Amino acid sequence: MRRAAPGAASAVLVVVVLVILFGPVLMLALFSFNDSSIISLPWEGFTTHWYEDAWNNEQARDAIANSLVVASFVTAISIVLGTAAAWGLTRLRFFGRGAIAGLHGSVLVVPWLIIGVAGLIFFSEFSVSLSLRTVALMHLVVTFPLVVAIVSAGLVRFQRSLEEAAIDLGASQLQMLRYVVLPQIAPSLAAAGIFAFAWSFNNFEISFFTGGFDQTFPVWVFSILRQSENLPLVNAASTVIAVAQIAAVFGAWQLIKMLSRKRGDGKDELTDLVTGTVR
Amino acid sequence: MRDRLRVFGFLGVPTGILAAFFLAPMVVMLVIALHYGVLSGESGWTLTNFSNVLSDPLYRDVALTTFQIATLAMLIQLAIAIPLAYVLAYKAGKFELGLLLFLVLADELNPMVRIYAWRMLLGREGIINSALMEIGLIDAPIDALLFSKFAVIVVLSTSYLTYTVIPIYAAMKAIDRNIFEAARDLGSGWFTTSRRILLPLIAPGIFVALLLVYIPLFTDFASPALVGGTEGYMLGNVVNDLVLESGDLNAGAAMSMLMLGASALFAIVAYRLTKIKQLES
Repeated sequence: MRRAAPGAASAVLVVVVLVILFGPVLMLALFSFNDSSIISLPWEGFTTHWYEDAWNNEQARDAIANSLVVASFVTAISIVLGTAAAWGLTRLRFFGRGAIAGLHGSVLVVPWLIIGVAGLIFFSEFSVSLSLRTVALMHLVVTFPLVVAIVSAGLVRFQRSLEEAAIDLGASQLQMLRYVVLPQIAPSLAAAGIFAFAWSFNNFEISFFTGGFDQTFPVWVFSILRQSENLPLVNAASTVIAVAQIAAVFGAWQLIKMLSRKRGDGKDELTDLVTGTVR
Repeated sequence: MRDRLRVFGFLGVPTGILAAFFLAPMVVMLVIALHYGVLSGESGWTLTNFSNVLSDPLYRDVALTTFQIATLAMLIQLAIAIPLAYVLAYKAGKFELGLLLFLVLADELNPMVRIYAWRMLLGREGIINSALMEIGLIDAPIDALLFSKFAVIVVLSTSYLTYTVIPIYAAMKAIDRNIFEAARDLGSGWFTTSRRILLPLIAPGIFVALLLVYIPLFTDFASPALVGGTEGYMLGNVVNDLVLESGDLNAGAAMSMLMLGASALFAIVAYRLTKIKQLES
């Protein structure tokens, strides 16, 4: 009995946490199919017309499209800038390296609310009108340092002697990067990509303050909920987004697993990837 | 010379972007916070924005509420995260990766969707109230579920759980497990082992979790705005109302600078503590 007890306690804890984290979102999805404009029990029957409503709602469509465009742009640029900076910070020795690393790191601990407000004031002082462009720019500012953190952790983990060996064996710098470094950091890059996309897509505070009249998806949900009661149409749109996000995370996870296995690493490599960045 | 060019090639653009759109906005915000507003009829440098914000008794109450809510939410998360990290690191076995994936997933789900989901559950005519009334447990809806401090604490506690668990889990993974056996062989019970061995070793992880979670909790404004009502009004809402509702950019900037200063102070202390603890172990 004494041996079984901790196992049961662990299982209960895990189930409770999963219910707290995912239960509400499952309910939200469930009630997107309820044939009633009030979101409460009793269940009034199955319908998909909230999805039609959401699809025909121009604001909802624009908001989702805006978020997709901004997040795609931010992810692509963040990967390039972040990987370059991570390489510079982990492989080059120079005066002021600590300060520049600190600058990149400090972005990650400044609250988004403050970055959003500062952005709003900054742009209004220089009479730059607020739009998706200013949103994307400010998203980029907070997102590429995250890529720097994830990729740096990947670069620190693998042995530099491999790079030196490649050069000694006659590889050019480019060949070394392509055939030695890239496969090594591929899982980190995949993780960085999915996180960067989510950071931009999910970002509310910065989009809210620096977007002007252009709404991203979180800003749209916020403004609807501020004005009115809960709407089944928002349930439908939110469910679509949640399903897409779940699919994206699972896809990325499988990709990362595959990339790690290619390198002959197992489970430890994956847990390292998750934990490495926070150290 | 070639090295310098290389440094510039890799770091020039990233550093330039941060200087132009991270540091410069902060400096501009500080300058605005130190100037009279357009509406005040005066011009030039001043400290009145800061003194107004600091001396307003309403803001002092809001600061206290914010402290209460953020601290409670943080404690609840630590109470869940420490055992959960322990289960993940030592007990989960083949479920470890899958559970990690769920934690990552919880973080990737759109926070606004999550807030909305809670609001739907907790509302006056929401799912919890209507379910309780259906089965006859209550006759009238429980009003305190939504638009209350309670609602904000519930939503915030579930919003940052991933970032509380993962640093603690990382710290646990780094522990050499022989140390637990050694402790048991030397006759220490689970309580002593937890307090004297586990806790000191995971302290750096806890400080990282505080750094990643406690600061955003203090500045959150979407959750209190959507589920907090007047009771759960927090500092983030003050900033929002100053900047967007009353259009007082100068006061909003002063308030933001104070919050930034407090965050920075907290971050530095937590970071130092982490380093000290890491050196000790």
